Amino acid sequence: MPVDPELLEILACPNCKTPVTLVKDGAALKCATCHRVYPIKDDIPVMLIDEATIEP
Amino acid sequence: MATASNHDVTPVGLLYARFTPVYDLVFGPVLQPGRRAAVGAMALRGGERVLEVGVGTGINAALYPPSCRVVGIDLSEGMLAAAEARIARERLTHVRVQRMDGAALAFADGSFDVVYAPYTISAAPDPIRIVAEMRRVCRAGGRIVLLNHFLSSSRVLAGIEHRLTWLTRRIGFRADLGLQSLLDQTGLRAVSVRRVNVPPIWSLVLCAP
Repeated sequence: MPVDPELLEILACPNCKTPVTLVKDGAALKCATCHRVYPIKDDIPVMLIDEATIEP
Repeated sequence: MATASNHDVTPVGLLYARFTPVYDLVFGPVLQPGRRAAVGAMALRGGERVLEVGVGTGINAALYPPSCRVVGIDLSEGMLAAAEARIARERLTHVRVQRMDGAALAFADGSFDVVYAPYTISAAPDPIRIVAEMRRVCRAGGRIVLLNHFLSSSRVLAGIEHRLTWLTRRIGFRADLGLQSLLDQTGLRAVSVRRVNVPPIWSLVLCAP
């Protein structure tokens, strides 16, 4: 099951609180402001600053 | 049985990874009256969105009416695995869990009608930041519900609680958190405060954001 669309609507970057968008064919969520990428593991986004990568 | 994964290396995460198998046994029935009273105090209406900060083993999940939509967050992977198993077992399709830090919530401002922290904030390293985040993600006119132990207003009891903090911290809990100072520092307004559980040393605090 992909990430719940209703949840996706309210998810934001934990660092700068900007809305995040699906990237990498739905395998991660990216913040357009601070460029952090949050992995999605077993259909659950891991929205932790420490586990994000920064990808310009 | 849950084990401490590499994601549970923070002191709080490690503690709760260790706690997961016994949490319900130790803290289940004793703290249940407070949990029931808290969900009652939310006065949930159909379709309302609830955020539970510190969902733990999902012990509250069955208390929410199926007509509302609940998101539970926790930092501990072990706790979340237990919560997911419970949600599947009890077919609680209106409850979802997410791995998140309560002090850095990954939700847009005003996303929830009700934001609830059940026995969470005194187990966290920075209660003020968590409550400030809870306030941020709660919509204007929403409800914030804190179920917690707060420092007694009696000077004698407060003195004992201050002195016991070294001990309670070992089981992941601080006994020296003052309600008024928490409200002052986060700009919350308490609408009602009442004592819950036996002995009644826990408070159920309903706040306006």
